[in-house]
Amino acid sequence: MCWHCQSEVGGEYFCKRCVKVQPLSPDLDYFTCMKLPRILQIDEKALEETFYELSRTFHPDFYTTRDESEKAISLGNTALLNAAYRTLKDPFQRVEYLIRLEAGSAKDIRSAPPADLFEEILELQEDLETYRTVNPAEDPETANQLRAKLQASREHLESRLEELESALFERFRRWDELQGQSGHDGIDPRPQKDALLREMQDLLSHRTYVRNIIQDLADTLG
Amino acid sequence: MAYSDKVIDHYNNPRNVGSFRKDEEGVGTGIVGAPECGDVMKLQIKVENDTIVDAKFKTFGCGSAIASSSLATEWLKGKTLEEASKIKNTDIVQELNLPPVKIHCSVLAEDAIKAALNDYKKKTEATKQDKEQPATTSS
Repeated sequence: MCWHCQSEVGGEYFCKRCVKVQPLSPDLDYFTCMKLPRILQIDEKALEETFYELSRTFHPDFYTTRDESEKAISLGNTALLNAAYRTLKDPFQRVEYLIRLEAGSAKDIRSAPPADLFEEILELQEDLETYRTVNPAEDPETANQLRAKLQASREHLESRLEELESALFERFRRWDELQGQSGHDGIDPRPQKDALLREMQDLLSHRTYVRNIIQDLADTLG
Repeated sequence: MAYSDKVIDHYNNPRNVGSFRKDEEGVGTGIVGAPECGDVMKLQIKVENDTIVDAKFKTFGCGSAIASSSLATEWLKGKTLEEASKIKNTDIVQELNLPPVKIHCSVLAEDAIKAALNDYKKKTEATKQDKEQPATTSS
């Protein structure tokens, strides 16, 4: 219902009768807001085009002469739009958002942590600590040895990060396939989807740990 | 958002930093991580007669995660295994005055305590079985 003239509105951006701008529903998910299907390999060009189009529709600059209610709606819609665009543009934020949408909360599908990875990280962090305290002028040999070891670990972790990301993108493809078949063949794709969401959540957390340690290595090694 | 004085104190003067050898008798080790931020925490307990006589930790993460695990090791010392299993993350939140965005750090500390207790139990049960079963049994 239009906030101004109380006539019917069903998701239009402007009331047909009084032409006042309408607030986007706070329940609107980012995919719907950006007119995209709930898939992971999105058409990035289409996303950008929708973003520009809707920005032109709602931007506060176009509402400076309107009344306070319309100014507030323009601001609120623009804020939602910016958040939606920023989230969907980045593939990692996009999948995290999708998992939250699909699972209610991404935390519900938290699963077994990668124990061996933790061991590896702890060991590396300890080497890093030692390296920070070694004075290269006094003990160049230890410093050089440690540096070489840490450098090798860094390269190894960087290729691991790449592997994790391609594994994640492979699941993007499988998710989109499942979304495409939904309901066609009479098989409920839900269990498959949930399994896929869990796998993606695992890969995402794994990636966070690996990225953190790479960052720490980069900070110290330069 | 500022850290509470207690968090800063634990961060600047962390208690019980370090580690025990994992295979040492009576030592239980818990290693856990927070997928939200990528922090990793290792917490170890040393047990004699069902009482925790010493505890150590190493945490690579933010101030709140360090403070949570530092506090946890302080609390663990002198507690029985039974008492230790009752430490809740909400106790840590309260003591350190953690803001809502840092609650997961206290959850991490609780998880680490549980993991260390479980590891200790598993280890002692395994050695008990070794002692009870004659060496002739092959696996």
